[in-house]
Amino acid sequence: MAASLPDLLVTAEAGRTRPPRTRAAAGWIRALRLWLPAGFLILMLGACFVWPNVYPVPNPVRGSVLYAGLSPLSPGHIFGTDPVGNDVFSRILYGGQVSFEVGAAVTAIGLAVGGLLGICAGYWGGAVDAIISRVLDVLIAFPALVLALAIAEGLGPSEVHVIWALSVFSIPATGRIARSATLELREQTFMLAARLSGTRGWRVLVRHVIPNIVPQLMTFSLLGFGVVIILEGALSYLGLGIPLPEASWGSMIAQGQQSLTASPDLVLIPSAFLFATVVSLNLLGDALRERWAV
Amino acid sequence: MSESLLEVKDLKVTFTGGGRKLRAVDGVSYCAYPGQTLAIVGESGSGKTVSCRAIMGLLPPTAAITGSARFAGIQLIGLTDDQLRRHRGADVAMVFQDPTRSLNPTMRIGPQIAEAVRTHRPVGKPQAREEAVDLLRLVRIPLPERRFMEYPHQLSGGMRQRVMIAIALAGRPRLLIADEATTALDVTTQAQIMELLLELQSDLGMALLLISHDLALAASYADEVIVMYAGKIVEHAPAPRLFSRVRMPYTQALLEAIPRLERPAHSLLPVIGGRPPDLSALPAGCSFAPRCRRAADDCLAAEPPLTEHEPGHRWACWHPVEGGAEGGAA
Amino acid sequence: MAVAEHTATDHSGSGARSDLTRRILGSSTLRLAGRRLLAAIPVLWGVTFLTYVVMDLLPGDTAQILLGANATPAEIHQLSVELHLNEPFWVRYGNWLGGMFHGSLGQSLTNQENVTTILGARLPITAELLVYAFVVSLVLAVGFAVLAARWPNGIMDRISLAISMTGLSIAPYVLALVLIYLFAVKIQWFPAIGYTSPSVNLVENIKSLTLPAASLGVPLFAVYTRLLRADIVEQMQREDYIVTARAKGVRPWRILLRHALPNSLFGLITLVGLNLGTLIGATAIIEPIFSIPGAGDILVQSINDHDVPVVEGIVVVFAVVVVAANLLADILYAALDPRIRYGRVAS
Repeated sequence: MAASLPDLLVTAEAGRTRPPRTRAAAGWIRALRLWLPAGFLILMLGACFVWPNVYPVPNPVRGSVLYAGLSPLSPGHIFGTDPVGNDVFSRILYGGQVSFEVGAAVTAIGLAVGGLLGICAGYWGGAVDAIISRVLDVLIAFPALVLALAIAEGLGPSEVHVIWALSVFSIPATGRIARSATLELREQTFMLAARLSGTRGWRVLVRHVIPNIVPQLMTFSLLGFGVVIILEGALSYLGLGIPLPEASWGSMIAQGQQSLTASPDLVLIPSAFLFATVVSLNLLGDALRERWAV
Repeated sequence: MSESLLEVKDLKVTFTGGGRKLRAVDGVSYCAYPGQTLAIVGESGSGKTVSCRAIMGLLPPTAAITGSARFAGIQLIGLTDDQLRRHRGADVAMVFQDPTRSLNPTMRIGPQIAEAVRTHRPVGKPQAREEAVDLLRLVRIPLPERRFMEYPHQLSGGMRQRVMIAIALAGRPRLLIADEATTALDVTTQAQIMELLLELQSDLGMALLLISHDLALAASYADEVIVMYAGKIVEHAPAPRLFSRVRMPYTQALLEAIPRLERPAHSLLPVIGGRPPDLSALPAGCSFAPRCRRAADDCLAAEPPLTEHEPGHRWACWHPVEGGAEGGAA
Repeated sequence: MAVAEHTATDHSGSGARSDLTRRILGSSTLRLAGRRLLAAIPVLWGVTFLTYVVMDLLPGDTAQILLGANATPAEIHQLSVELHLNEPFWVRYGNWLGGMFHGSLGQSLTNQENVTTILGARLPITAELLVYAFVVSLVLAVGFAVLAARWPNGIMDRISLAISMTGLSIAPYVLALVLIYLFAVKIQWFPAIGYTSPSVNLVENIKSLTLPAASLGVPLFAVYTRLLRADIVEQMQREDYIVTARAKGVRPWRILLRHALPNSLFGLITLVGLNLGTLIGATAIIEPIFSIPGAGDILVQSINDHDVPVVEGIVVVFAVVVVAANLLADILYAALDPRIRYGRVAS
């Protein structure tokens, strides 16, 4: 559009067919879009990590068969019990711990390793880029699920093994994003200015590249966090993730599958929490992306 | 004097966003006649482009437009997009600044012109193709049949702009708005395009509206010149009069800032001090006063109205420049 | 700068007719494809090699696993020799690689069937499932994205965004179970498990694949719609050629479909290539749920059995498909963008 139109107006309002009724309403809606999912996540984190340590919750693995198969809203068991007698509610909480731990670890590894590789590939280009890109390509073409299954199958299922297995998936994904973001950045004039002014390679990376791609990486990682949680669920669902009797949303779903027709809530409850958590992560990622205009 | 083709009265455009109200165009009135070249000159942010896009309805939905813009008697302000669409291209056409970005990169130029032909007239494809080739010939592109099938990136900047003109002319408009049409071109090409525009205008009897920040360009090619600042018209006169008897200090400053060969080498270019005004927080009084050499107390207190102080010459200033040939025609 | 105009005139002398010849002989697209193909080969090799390494590193004696816990050491040893299991890694890998170049993928360790036969029976089923899921989700995505982009922030837009967000956030296996519960148990429209071959009954075939395809396709649809809608809206709001089209008086639908949409496909094409790997991987979970006898179905089982040839066979095919799809995406990208096809001219 013409140079005379202030860009801020075009970006802020572009796309609205009808301007919001009041400026205040628009502000509220925007804030809600960020804080509603963020609030839910904080709630979940608190429930999963803080609550069991502060307030007594039935043991997730030592339920008594006497109480097996209770339906939700039974006294003492809000979500009922599973076929072995464990309290579903506490299994949800402990399962949530696993999901968040795995998600955080895998995302962190992806950012650290993949992000670094991607930045190096994008910044230095040439042979470095060629090598790193080929490696990333192989990892992406490689059915990570096979690797994950193989690791779990071979080394025995455990939370740590799940983290390793899923990192193989997260590193190339983050690497690609970091690389293309760095490439885009490199073309910009201020980068040229930095190089011309004699700033050395590492300093340019740290002071110019990283701060500018952090927003993009962060929003991508939030989406990735959700994907990792789903994948951890998949592995546990297949029996190759967190081993029973420990709680994991995925294994709970697998267990519940057997009585799907009779008592669907054993599938629906962990599914609902899984869904709500991932949706919140996605919504939060979107809201941040909008805020930071990535 | 023939009937005015475009009559703009008290046009105002306001943008609201981020809690601020921005008055991009603040009461603009003028007339354009068939066969006449009217130049609207101003710096970035003066409102020259916004006012013309408002007439064509090409502004984002967040723009609030009031006032009147009559084309051949038809009121354009307030029409729905659907109604305005009938006028766009057929009555009023526009040529834009950056031909590289203004053409669809994945579509061949021929079909882009043919599309303009078929939009307003029920013409079959083969005939539209013929007309498009004719238009390419009209804008003096060599080997038009071959060029028809080329993509925009295969043409040079000057040729792309000719294609844009061809597109604009496809609907046989009576008013052509050239929005900084030559700004992105080098000087030689600029002259060629301007010559082409003027020739087409006289051949087709169109009214031509030239929008530019280049006062020298306006001087060379326009019949009448309007100078805009901060959304308002500050001076409006026939071109020769404006340049021989400039009144508004802003216009004078613009004229003085044009580099000229007659000046001694290495002399400082007299630029206008200060910064363009913040359109959401305009000062009371004359908008140019903060940067004006001749500003006095009454300039800061009250806004001077645009008045026709001399026949055919309007200006808005409490202390206009006196005297004769200051600035001189370019 | 005036020289540029002349250069342009000279260079673009060749018109539409010699275009075709120029294209075939020295087309940059062909060269691009060639280069990508060359680059793809080490990637393919890398994948097969990595898989072999991983499978080899799995602890546990393959022969023992195959024979079960009651096997005697003598039986185990005999089977190891029979299956060449105790030869060094490089010999085994070399044999396998050599076999592949001769068109043989070896034999399953569990039942001695030719891997090629096994894949031949199972791959078409997985392929049908994937194509079903992919095509339907793509078509629906384009439809929704176009409707959403026509009236940004309108009703259609909000609905499609909500559906996208939901589809993105749901796990395929969860969706599968929910779909089974709703459509196979409660309202019995589709079978919960089982597969009918198209040669037996086409309608039943489609029905048996619908729920699995939906489980795979909904997340796909969500991602595609989101991206395409965002790209179209961005074109419509930020690009100058759209303003030109409006100034010409072109109708809004035509601007959307003829101008904005073709220029918005690039991101989608790249995404499809990238997503294919995940999609294929998901079949390993979805097929067993619905008892679809495809390639994904035996993948998990084969890994458990340490049945290396079968695993390798599947991995190779999947890797080839992924690499080929990405290659195709690159070519398509270049084919659609005339700037890449014809190269740039002065100025």
